[in-house]
Amino acid sequence: MSGRRGRISDDEINELISKLQALLPETSRRRNASRSSASKLLKETCSYIKSLHREVDDLSDRLSELMSTMDNDSPQAEIIRSLLR
Amino acid sequence: MAFKQELLKNLILSLRARTADACRFSAMSLQERKRAVKASADVAMATARGGGARWPKAILAAAGTTSSNQSCKVRSSRCRRVVRRCFREKRRGGSAAALAGSAAASSVDVARRLVRKRTMALRKVIPGADAVMDEASLLREAMDYVVHLRAQVDVLRRVSEAVQRSSLLRDSVWPQSALRGKEDSSSMRQ
Repeated sequence: MSGRRGRISDDEINELISKLQALLPETSRRRNASRSSASKLLKETCSYIKSLHREVDDLSDRLSELMSTMDNDSPQAEIIRSLLR
Repeated sequence: MAFKQELLKNLILSLRARTADACRFSAMSLQERKRAVKASADVAMATARGGGARWPKAILAAAGTTSSNQSCKVRSSRCRRVVRRCFREKRRGGSAAALAGSAAASSVDVARRLVRKRTMALRKVIPGADAVMDEASLLREAMDYVVHLRAQVDVLRRVSEAVQRSSLLRDSVWPQSALRGKEDSSSMRQ
């Protein structure tokens, strides 16, 4: 919970930046990773998070529509529970 | 992945709790139902994550207040932010050109200002990152959030597909007994 006060080294920041870069979708990766600026990375991360938010919104919408046709003690509930394993 | 299973469990429990009160659930408007499902998904994700980051606490804290008000606010502020960003980008083009003529030091300022602006934008899309957080923590928070968001998307997609498939099964002409047999074999294949 308490943030680490004290100087964060450039190396640590660079490591975090490359790790974050690795998470972003392939299409947004630049060929020469070292040239991608911090601001570009931040922007891509921001857009990626927003697109994930949109996906969650859309899927939630779809699920809520499907659920309105689903009843509780149905075989459907069993199928969903089986997804857990 | 243990997190996905935890998320799925939380999600199912939450959705079942909501639909258990069938009268209330079906009495909800479509919008309310959508918001309820989205809230369930977010709370399920935050609960499954636990204490290793800031964003889960922020989500749960926000869920504690009136959820319908909250999501309305978030939605409209997201739209506003997009519009503001478009305007800013147009303006930036002009000022950058003006600055290019002056000393090299100014371009560093521009770059720094851009990073600051982008950092602020990133803070706005990650729950709980509004607070003053050093850059390294913000990056770590962003990574953690992205990983878990992706898992949330995956779980939601699978649940939707399962419900959809089961609806198709149900609406088919197969008799109930054959239906049960089919489910057992398909769930084993998973």
